[in-house]
Amino acid sequence: MILGKEKIIPIFAMIVIFVGIFSTIYVQSTNIDRDTIKINGQEYTIDQLFSMCEMRIIEIDKGEITGIALDDLISKVGVGCPQCVKYTIKAKDKYQQTVDWDIMKTGILTDYSRVYFPDTAHSFWVRDVIEIEVK
Amino acid sequence: MNNFKLLAGILVFGSLWGFSECIIGSGINELGLPSGAIMTGFFTIAFLVISRRIYQKPGMQLGMGLVAGGLRLFNPFVGCQLCSALAIMAEGAIFEALWYKISVNFSELKTPIMQVSMGILSGYFVYIGGYIVTQILTPIISGPGFFIENLIAVMPNILSSGLLPAIIGAFVIPVVLFINKLDIRLKDRFYYPTTIGVSAFCWFFVFGYWLLLT
Repeated sequence: MILGKEKIIPIFAMIVIFVGIFSTIYVQSTNIDRDTIKINGQEYTIDQLFSMCEMRIIEIDKGEITGIALDDLISKVGVGCPQCVKYTIKAKDKYQQTVDWDIMKTGILTDYSRVYFPDTAHSFWVRDVIEIEVK
Repeated sequence: MNNFKLLAGILVFGSLWGFSECIIGSGINELGLPSGAIMTGFFTIAFLVISRRIYQKPGMQLGMGLVAGGLRLFNPFVGCQLCSALAIMAEGAIFEALWYKISVNFSELKTPIMQVSMGILSGYFVYIGGYIVTQILTPIISGPGFFIENLIAVMPNILSSGLLPAIIGAFVIPVVLFINKLDIRLKDRFYYPTTIGVSAFCWFFVFGYWLLLT
């Protein structure tokens, strides 16, 4: 029995290392690098978004953060019934989180393309945002 | 070993684990380094293996995860208490599952290859398991609900993120097992004062700071 473990465990360990290496290569090679953010199907640059939306300062555990208000952004990009839909915020490394309007309306988007929400877990603070999908 | 001694062991090792997550983990995070992966590779695996080796009681590491996760909820230095606490609690449970078939006296881990291999498997699965659990439970507990497509999209990142703790774990377990050979023991009459004193220090320090800053 012990002999079996002595063969199987090192083989599994090697497989795990290969999975880790290949997934790292995959993540790096599939990163989407672009200067625009796609919101509700339309592309915007950060400068465009900052010129059309109101600024907001929110307080998080790291201190005060400034960015454009996501509730204003959503209304400016033409979402008719913001509380009727959900918002999936996608990052360039394919990380994504879905929030509802109650969370979305409290958030900001910074000039370094990161969203923050004052009262949520950090896992919702998506960095390097490339898309906000409305669905 | 009586149950009180085991409970004191769970409390002290869980508290040390939670304390290191709050203090050292927060410091590493402030430096912009991947604190979760580094903490799991070094401290989590070390505390879990040391306690398993000393007490030889399966189930203990699950309790340690609950104590450490509980302490992490009050971390005064970095936010996201909820997701980190959930991840820590899950890590204890995942370690138990991984080590279920390993003898309590570690008879299988005599060779360096086995030690390194268990370090890789422990570091990898404990970390990605905690990551997956927090990706599922945090949205459920926080309100918006869990969306499977979000987890599927992030799976390559999760599988990739386990590489660093796996490599660290490969070094940590042989070192921990070597140190254990030195057979450092605490005399019985010092056991309860030391374990309770160390646990109390960890909780008062973290909880006190949390009260001060909130």
